[in-house]
Amino acid sequence: MDWDFFVQQLVNGLTLGSVYALIALGYTMVYGILKLLNFAHGEVYMMGAFAGFGVLSLFGGALGVTINVVVLIGLMLAVAMIGTGFLGVAIERFAYRPLRNAPRIAPLISALGVSFFLQSSALLLFGADFRSYETYEYIDLASGIHWGPLNISVVRIAVILTAFALMFGLTLLVARTRLGKAMRATAFDREAAAMQGIDVDRVIVATFFIGSALAGAAGVMVGLVFYKVYHLMGFLAGLKGFTAAVVGGIGSIPGAMLGGLLIGLSEAFITGYVSSTFQDVFVFSILIVLLLVRPSGLLGKADIQKV
Amino acid sequence: MHGRKRKGVAALAVLTIASLAIVASAFARADAGPAATAAPNAGCDSPTIGFQGPITGDAAFIGKEQLGFSQYAIKKLGGGKIKLSQQDTQLDPAQASTTGTKLHADANVLAVVGPAGSQEVLAVAPIYKKGQRLPFISGSATRTSLTNGSIPNFFRVVPNDSVQAPTTAKFLRQVLKAKHVFIVDDQTAYSRPLANGVQANLKAGGVKVTRNSVNQKVTDFSSLVSKIGDDVTHVYLPWQIAANGQIFGQQMKEQGKKAVIFGSDGLDSGDFKIQGAYISAFAPDIRGIKGNAAFIRGYGKKFVSNFGPPMYVATQAAILAIQKACADGDATRAEVQKNLRATLIPKTPLGGNLQFTARGDVKGAKFYIFKLGAGGKKTLVG
Repeated sequence: MDWDFFVQQLVNGLTLGSVYALIALGYTMVYGILKLLNFAHGEVYMMGAFAGFGVLSLFGGALGVTINVVVLIGLMLAVAMIGTGFLGVAIERFAYRPLRNAPRIAPLISALGVSFFLQSSALLLFGADFRSYETYEYIDLASGIHWGPLNISVVRIAVILTAFALMFGLTLLVARTRLGKAMRATAFDREAAAMQGIDVDRVIVATFFIGSALAGAAGVMVGLVFYKVYHLMGFLAGLKGFTAAVVGGIGSIPGAMLGGLLIGLSEAFITGYVSSTFQDVFVFSILIVLLLVRPSGLLGKADIQKV
Repeated sequence: MHGRKRKGVAALAVLTIASLAIVASAFARADAGPAATAAPNAGCDSPTIGFQGPITGDAAFIGKEQLGFSQYAIKKLGGGKIKLSQQDTQLDPAQASTTGTKLHADANVLAVVGPAGSQEVLAVAPIYKKGQRLPFISGSATRTSLTNGSIPNFFRVVPNDSVQAPTTAKFLRQVLKAKHVFIVDDQTAYSRPLANGVQANLKAGGVKVTRNSVNQKVTDFSSLVSKIGDDVTHVYLPWQIAANGQIFGQQMKEQGKKAVIFGSDGLDSGDFKIQGAYISAFAPDIRGIKGNAAFIRGYGKKFVSNFGPPMYVATQAAILAIQKACADGDATRAEVQKNLRATLIPKTPLGGNLQFTARGDVKGAKFYIFKLGAGGKKTLVG
């Protein structure tokens, strides 16, 4: 067994998986509370990546960064998270809230509409060209951990740590704060929560803000690690994030994290040990088998139906 | 409260409709085609050349430069009479079929320039062969089998992969002294046959080859990069998306991989600038050809790849064929195809003459090899 190769693939998988997990969290939080599949979530992630790129350009661009790089990345994350947080709130307010009592298919169509709207808006605003974070111009990718043939760049380490810190923060927020309690109560029974004096609208707004902010952070992280930013980047990432949420058990926050990491790691190890050609076929075959065994996902709870 | 809600919903509706109108009008501008209900047999009243290219999407850099040079040819040579109908394919065969059907149905369209990718050419070929056969000229599709005789109305102004594959393999073997080449195709109709050709040539020359493949939509190659062993001397990427090649190269650096990248013509763009890498190109850098200064000044825009100028030549060929066919006041697509077959354009901006073989290939075409320096600066090395 080549352990260096194994650890390298583990790091590759964790990087990708932590990004999927952050995206999956937005899907699962919204579904948990509204039973809505927010298909515009991938585009929110794309907008986050562009927001980060905007901050980078504002401070001199990749070739002429004018401030400390750590501060720059902090600003990119902050602006992207706040910007996408408000974008999520706006989407909820204008595209979903008016349809809250409509048949379930209506907000689903609205979500698809918002997704296309955001894609086209990005095309109009930023053009069809690829934008690149060109992280290698302002961060030495050779810096990081180097043990023999094992190389883990400082950017990957930062991305993994930030993603885990955000997930940990979210877990604390949901488990330990009044807002988290209100979110859990709303997810459990929206009407009962309202009767108990919880401002359900505020909880929903907070959920959209947090979920979208996490997607925005994921967008910046992807830009930092994989450089390329463009208006169609949300589709595949959104699909993977959604799959991660389903595999983990949609509606379950730890499930979304687990699902994201599982997909990222599966992709890395299948590419490394089996085949890059049929990577998605293998990954999704595993997931299908997993869902056949546990239809409600790894950490999801089966709905109890009154008969 | 309800009044406020209604106002909010009304504001949302107005905002959405206004935004959609802006987006739609922008797309309408980008997709300004001729009227779909053109009168039949109106070829010389309003002669039109269809343009198919990836104006948006992953390969927009290709389409935008191809469109720019096609428009330049129309402006410079079209005599104010020939129009261009732009169709965006997004490098997607399905989209190419849809827009191809639209062009085929328009009686004013006498020839098409494009599409860009071999997979798209294969998708539109059955459409353009139907009924009134529509001749089409690609400025970048290089798959060898496209000119095996099965698409008699297809032409291209660039050499095919039967030239690119041996040129690349020979350079890797003889000049770069490659010992072990790691080939990764991007699972497209362009990439796979080219990878197969280079692989076969290298193996025949005694070079060890490891073959991999990755979906064109993927942007994280780190797991694949981890598989590049220490004995790999070169990595061959026959890809269409140059930005993906840049990511691959940077991830190689990140993991301390020393192998040298050799990219196909798809990586010949400003998006790919890995220092020390090599690329093959189906056209020379026209900026280095004597006598092109006025031509380049006339274009007036910045261009970063070699995808644009061949499209100028393709459009030039189409214009000349249409003008010749329209000389008697009437033209059919069959006449235009016949004229294309007899094309002879001396000294094009690509440096040589343009003449087609009986199967639609360009006569005497060759591939060029460049080495990339700092910032992607290209030096001709083969």
